[in-house]
Amino acid sequence: MRNTGHVLRAAFAGAALAATAWAPAAAQDIHVGHLADYSGATSDVGTPYGQGVADTIAWINANGGIGGRKIASETIDYSYQVPRAVSAYKGWAGRVVAIQGWGTADTEALVAFVSKDKIPYYSASYSAALTDPAGGSKADKPAPYNFFYGPSYSDAARAMVQWAAEDWKKKGGKGKPKYVHMGANHPYPNAPKAAAEAYAKELGFEVLPAIQFALTPGDYTAQCLTLKQMGANYAYLGNTAGSNISVLKACHAAGVKVQFLGNVWGMDENAMKAAGEAADGVVFPMRTGAIWNDDVPGMKLMQAISKMSDPSGTAYRPIHYLAGACTVLYMKEAMEWAADNGGVSGENIKKGMEARENWVPKGADGVCKPSAWSAKDHRPTLEVDLYQASVKGSTDASVPELIKNGTIKMTKIATVKLPRKQEWLGW
Amino acid sequence: MTSVAYDRPSGDFKTSYAADTTIFPTRTSAAFCVAGIALVAAAPLYLDKYGLSILIQIGYLGIAALGLNILVGFTGQISIGHSVFFGFGAFASAYLNNEFGVPVFFAIPLAGLATTVVGLVFGIPAARLKGLYLAIATLAAQFILQDFFARATWFTGGVAGTPAEPLTVFGYAFNTDARYLYVVLAYVVVMYLLATNLIRTRDGRALVAVRDHYLSAEMMGVNLTKYRTMSFGISSFYAGVGGALYAHYLGFVSVEGFTILFSIQFLAMIIIGGLGSIMGTLMGTAFMVLLPEAMTALAGQLAGSAIDRALGLNEGIAFLREMAIGAVIILFLIFEPDGLAHRWRQIRAYFKLYPFSY
Amino acid sequence: MDTQLLLQLLLNGLIVGALYGVVAMCFVLIYKASQVVNFAQGEFLLVGAWVCWWLLTTYPVPFYAAFLVTLAFMMAFGLLLQVVVLRPLIGEPVISVIMVTIGLSIFFQALMKWMFGVFAKPFPPIFASQTVDVLGLQVQTVYVMSLAVSVLIMAGFAWFFKFSRMGLAMRAVAFDQQAAQSLGVSVRTVFALSWGISAMVSAVAGVVVGVVNGVSSALSFFGIKVFPAVILGGLDSIVGAVIGGIIVGLLENIAHYFDSQFLHWGNLYEVAPFYVLIAILMIWPYGLFGTKDIERV
Repeated sequence: MRNTGHVLRAAFAGAALAATAWAPAAAQDIHVGHLADYSGATSDVGTPYGQGVADTIAWINANGGIGGRKIASETIDYSYQVPRAVSAYKGWAGRVVAIQGWGTADTEALVAFVSKDKIPYYSASYSAALTDPAGGSKADKPAPYNFFYGPSYSDAARAMVQWAAEDWKKKGGKGKPKYVHMGANHPYPNAPKAAAEAYAKELGFEVLPAIQFALTPGDYTAQCLTLKQMGANYAYLGNTAGSNISVLKACHAAGVKVQFLGNVWGMDENAMKAAGEAADGVVFPMRTGAIWNDDVPGMKLMQAISKMSDPSGTAYRPIHYLAGACTVLYMKEAMEWAADNGGVSGENIKKGMEARENWVPKGADGVCKPSAWSAKDHRPTLEVDLYQASVKGSTDASVPELIKNGTIKMTKIATVKLPRKQEWLGW
Repeated sequence: MTSVAYDRPSGDFKTSYAADTTIFPTRTSAAFCVAGIALVAAAPLYLDKYGLSILIQIGYLGIAALGLNILVGFTGQISIGHSVFFGFGAFASAYLNNEFGVPVFFAIPLAGLATTVVGLVFGIPAARLKGLYLAIATLAAQFILQDFFARATWFTGGVAGTPAEPLTVFGYAFNTDARYLYVVLAYVVVMYLLATNLIRTRDGRALVAVRDHYLSAEMMGVNLTKYRTMSFGISSFYAGVGGALYAHYLGFVSVEGFTILFSIQFLAMIIIGGLGSIMGTLMGTAFMVLLPEAMTALAGQLAGSAIDRALGLNEGIAFLREMAIGAVIILFLIFEPDGLAHRWRQIRAYFKLYPFSY
Repeated sequence: MDTQLLLQLLLNGLIVGALYGVVAMCFVLIYKASQVVNFAQGEFLLVGAWVCWWLLTTYPVPFYAAFLVTLAFMMAFGLLLQVVVLRPLIGEPVISVIMVTIGLSIFFQALMKWMFGVFAKPFPPIFASQTVDVLGLQVQTVYVMSLAVSVLIMAGFAWFFKFSRMGLAMRAVAFDQQAAQSLGVSVRTVFALSWGISAMVSAVAGVVVGVVNGVSSALSFFGIKVFPAVILGGLDSIVGAVIGGIIVGLLENIAHYFDSQFLHWGNLYEVAPFYVLIAILMIWPYGLFGTKDIERV
């Protein structure tokens, strides 16, 4: 081994970085970490969600903060790479009282850490594995400090299966309807697979062997032809938007008549625009009680939040933005509860999260849906709103215009209430 | 590429074979090495958790990258599937520990051995294939093993991933960064010493001979098939150990992590560090780990500053950062195609010969 | 056995395979001329598709005009890239050059995301009817178009390399750089031109895929997908690249057929080509059409 002086240099560089990374903030500020994906593989949905989180924190600070204390948030764009998320976390641990997180892999990788360090972690991964705070369910391990807002992936898929069963009856379908799961063999599409297939069987579906397609856009005509040949009636699309669009388009071109069921990250305004008429009719779950411009009382608050980064107040905010905003609003009120009950610490924020029933953040009525977390059950809600995408005509214009002139529409078609079954916890 | 031109002042020649194969060419270099290790060992005194986690990352990635350098830099084979071997080591170690209760202390080297076996299997084409054709065979390994990870629920926990327990020795758990640093440091020292020693042996020289001119090597009695396959095995062993260290550090292994992009990053580490340079590998790893972190810190400083407001960058900063990473790699290779190790030798030579450089 | 489905899948494999073939051909062109393994091939598709999309959505130009401007732009883009970035690297180790192409890929990925956003954007409708019926399979019109364009490009290539002065020069350089140089062929020009042509033709594939799936950064995955095609055909055979691409396209679809009909293992579509790839390489170490190195000491 020759001179190892470079280790020295690496160490110095590391020290220098550590020193520069933290801008000094006032001592009484509440520190929050914000992990976002603005440049990685999921940046298409990560950008509006992250913007919603950032704007809401800015709005809280502009409106008195948490009992007069400002939230000092630090945003790290980790490009959807787990190691970067872990090193970002290491920088935060011990300094922040809560973290706004993002994806499936990084959230799962950090579960053990946040449990040990007692830092509430608000993920945009809605994996049912994160909903068991006490352990003892089908989830591999307890996740006492993990929270998310909205139905879990599994519950959303179950809700759609239940809707499909009713839809089949309503349409007067004969025989057993056929259900098929489509997606890549990856943690994200697979999260709700077993749950939804089991429930479909229970409801009398014939469950066909799953069809796989990669997470990246490509030519999926082969998959569509199989789908057609199998005679599936309901197909669950488990991937994120990019590859779902490819499937929808390929199936549209191949003339496949199947009712597609989307997922929270697999269908939104941009996906509808990109897929065009191929996206017409897709049913998908919605986390918030309203979409932008809906006439509900809570929309005023959302508009105020939106003005934080768009003073003119004209921007159209996609559904992910609202979900991000709601997530932060719950954190805000849990922090306020903690401030009144022994101080803003990770443990107290967790208690604050678990203190309420039928909880809607102040001023967000109609947007953030009533949710409740308990020390034994972190499923925020089992009531799932299902929307149907409608795309009529060419989608050349920008999303706000398309929404305005009604080319793209999302209509609520059902609200499915699932029973809070103990045996469904954690998977 | 392992030029020794600058190692000694002119007129100071090596006079024995022993001197030619010594680990440390001069006493100063040995002293520097010990000082470097001591400095890292003392890191918990002056670095916070963030700094430590970066050091640990450099450590376990550095071990895996060294394996790739033995394959690419010393034997002249190209591999674009290194990350799956890294991943295999991570899963194997977690699996041995979770399923059979093998203590983590033993699971890490055992995972290395298991990965070696897998590496040897995928190394078989190396007996017949050359250059880029071989590279693509490793690309196939990348996709096949990635698919295997997603499929083999018994082994990897399937798509849900698998937990990995922290390393415990006689009831003492290495479960904080400050503690785990010593585990990684010990492994780095041992593995790097092993590699340095390997290169000094007959086997090591045979590998280099295969790289430099395989026909000549064959004529001199080097068994090409044996050494080509062997270098795959060694490379996988290093990747497996690095992966195992990663698993027990993170406490969780997910199939999502081991993509082709990660494999390409490993290649970047050794090319930037310097092919066929052992210490260069560590430098290159440090470079590739620190570059995104430095860019993130820089972006953090830039956000909200006067420049940001003037140019209206906003979310563009995230992309600027990624572009800067790409640009730094390009510029670096245009101006320093032989890697950091080369530059480091030049700097050293400059000071050694100062003021009479020739 | 559902022969109807199998036939349709084979047809689909042929169409998609031809597209792989075009990209593989571009890849081989660069490799043959300058011995560079271009990891940024996928970014050529990406840049080309975005430029065409931008022209169509910003200016009221017809598709063919935008398409031609895109081709011209990509030609210039490829030339510039070679002259500015790759020329200084002539004579450096091949692996450093490979790394530079990886750097280019990272750079342009980010640049495209910054300029055009992170969302997948659809092309405005180009053909009056979106699909045409071919032997009972509804095929996107643009695929048929691309098949025609691909054949045209390939014919053009054949003519170019057989009869044009520049084409002959390029073949000479590919055959023996030093000999060509000593006979007065400008190796620099040939290198630059090969990058230019490669970028331009890749853009055709980029636009086609963009029209079918919408333009997004995921287009660049095509760059990695063509590796098996290139190797199957043999790294230095242009005809081999095209055939390799078609084989890979067919393989994917056949694997999917058996997977969905009989095996139900899942994901064979993705990995089966790689198993076949290894098997083929074990039998023919230089691919199906690659030149076997005869080495003398």
